[in-house]
Amino acid sequence: MAATDARNKREKPIGRALAAAACALLGRAGTASAADEPSAWSLDTAMLLYKESDSRVQDLSVAVSAIRDFGDQRLLGLSLTADTLTGASASGAIALDKPQTFTSPSGKATYSTPANEIPLDDTFKDTRFAASASWTQPLGRLYTGSAGLSVSGEYDYQHLGGNVSLARDFNKRNTTLSGGVAYSRDDIDPVGGAPTPLSQMPDVGVDFSKTGKQSKDVLDLLVGATQVLGRSTVVRVNYSYSRASGYLNDPYKFLSVVDPTTGDTIAHTPSAGLAGPDGVFLFESRPDSRTKQSVYAEMKHAFGRPVLELSYRYMTDDWNIDSHTLDGRLRWPLGASGYLEPHLRYYTQTAASFYRSSVPLGQSLPTYASSDFRLGQFDGVTAGIKYGFTSDSGSEWSARFEYYQQTGNVPDSMLIGNQLNREQFPDLKAIFLQLGYRFSL
Amino acid sequence: MKPGTTLRREDDHWVGSFAAMACPCELLIEECDESTARELLDVASRRAWWIEQKFSRYRDDNIVHAINAGNGRPVEVDDETANLVDFGATLTEHSEGGFDLTSGVLRRAWTFDGGSRVPDRAQVAELMKRVGWHRAKWNRPLLALEQGMEIDFGGIGKEYAVDTAVRDLLATNTQRSCVVNFGGDLAVTAARQDGRPWLIGVEGCDQPGVARNVLPLLRGAVATSGDSRRFVLHEGRRYSHILDARTGWPVLGAPRSITVLAQTCSEAGSMATLAMLKGVGAEDYLREQSYRFWIQA
Repeated sequence: MAATDARNKREKPIGRALAAAACALLGRAGTASAADEPSAWSLDTAMLLYKESDSRVQDLSVAVSAIRDFGDQRLLGLSLTADTLTGASASGAIALDKPQTFTSPSGKATYSTPANEIPLDDTFKDTRFAASASWTQPLGRLYTGSAGLSVSGEYDYQHLGGNVSLARDFNKRNTTLSGGVAYSRDDIDPVGGAPTPLSQMPDVGVDFSKTGKQSKDVLDLLVGATQVLGRSTVVRVNYSYSRASGYLNDPYKFLSVVDPTTGDTIAHTPSAGLAGPDGVFLFESRPDSRTKQSVYAEMKHAFGRPVLELSYRYMTDDWNIDSHTLDGRLRWPLGASGYLEPHLRYYTQTAASFYRSSVPLGQSLPTYASSDFRLGQFDGVTAGIKYGFTSDSGSEWSARFEYYQQTGNVPDSMLIGNQLNREQFPDLKAIFLQLGYRFSL
Repeated sequence: MKPGTTLRREDDHWVGSFAAMACPCELLIEECDESTARELLDVASRRAWWIEQKFSRYRDDNIVHAINAGNGRPVEVDDETANLVDFGATLTEHSEGGFDLTSGVLRRAWTFDGGSRVPDRAQVAELMKRVGWHRAKWNRPLLALEQGMEIDFGGIGKEYAVDTAVRDLLATNTQRSCVVNFGGDLAVTAARQDGRPWLIGVEGCDQPGVARNVLPLLRGAVATSGDSRRFVLHEGRRYSHILDARTGWPVLGAPRSITVLAQTCSEAGSMATLAMLKGVGAEDYLREQSYRFWIQA
């Protein structure tokens, strides 16, 4: 074949030369060409470090998400996350003016907390893997359907979830109404078994009433509306309903049983020859269902190139927790290809009805009790800044730094005797660092 | 609104139409109020007509006529024309002479109307004496063509018009995404407010007017080389309308059409043309370039 020679000779790619010639023709600086063509895959990678002060929880995670465009608005989304959690978290026991000893969750050892410090369980270490996949496509001219699956696993926790949603455009696509359903099932297999709620922390090696695997089911329903208002404003509102049922306890949290006058923990002496806790502690007990409802409103407005995003969420549940979240961020362009984005967030919640800092001896035992600080009253403020930059090849680099401060409060009416003189709700400070890289293949 | 333009509202966008450069031109405008749509249509049509007037080879009052009537004398050209000449010269270089701004005179021998007339070799050979960029003296801003030679921006002018219209539309700062479509060569000005892509149909050769591929386009440009209706069929052999300026004859074995996606319409169009000139090697050539493309054999 005559043409073979010519074809076997590898052609020098001239795309760059052509792009440059076209830019010269149009009298402007060259810009990315790769980024502007719909690529088969677009990938988003991120590394994230969350670190609490006083060597408490530290979480290092790596995430990759990818979107494959199959054309005609059919999209496949995939994501993978791996994270490692280390450090200590508050166990729920109160602080005392003397060191305290506890049996570790495995039931095979003990650990101690210094005097005047809020007890932390520092045996905490976990690695989690999560994966999800979703498919989105138009259904007819005005509908868009989406379905997804998610799985995640830790050594004591497995999650499997699925979701479907449907959106319809109205009013020349200025209005979109959407609805969705998600269902998930989580299996929990705590180290050393799941303790019976309100049972006492045992001595080391004592087989006590623990149950094996536990599970919970969560059903979420969501309806929402998005409205385009004029050229540069978009508003979105959502209502969501979520019902969780099954095992909702944290198997590693417990409460101190205290003297009703002094407020100090009742002493416990381990059986002869055994190690064990030096106080009486009861494993927490939460209701076996929780119904949450929330409304969310978000507004995005472009002032020319800068974009302001404001959102508010109100959540209320049948555990009597009400929360408010206010979030604002402003994306401010820097030069032709960079931006700076300050971020401010405020969160506040009321305590669950069964939240208590301790259980006084001699009073009737409540059905539900937890001293998990996450169920108490607290406020949190996050302040951060993000810088993003789009390179000539069209990929985007970003770095985000945030600072979080949480201030909790246990009402005085809940504290007894000496407890009033000691800090009973740990304040929390944390930093959050994220590096991201987005590119196309 | 300017005479010669029409504007109608479609489901979620406006469609403005007018004729320029001997082809139907369209402007698709993302949802906005009617006065904005009219303003944008005026901007795009004004640019198309301006380019047509300045670079048409059928007029006797423009720069193209001045160059072609130079009879060997250098003619000073303005910056915009000089940029186009430079661009054409670059394409000549990359195609090793296959593309040539002076090949327009070959039209006198070739009429690509779907008919079967093939010119005789002597006629083509005679015209070839007037073709060849190496015969032109280009010393920016002075251009001199030998007597009988003609310059023709037809091969790059339409794509250039699309790109300049995009530039004009962006300069209005209306922040509405538009698709500028001049006779099938098109570009998107900016991402749409709603983040959705424009769906662009790539016309099939077998059924003109029917989109064979639908391409979601967020940004960027698409240009096509080749046309279902412009060919000569002679003794069972199909001659494409892509003439090789080195021979004066159609490129043999070239696909019926090549569509390329790129950052600008000028880049897409020239890539498609360079690929066409590779004839049977067009597809292999395109595979080695980092562009998305569609070929209809």
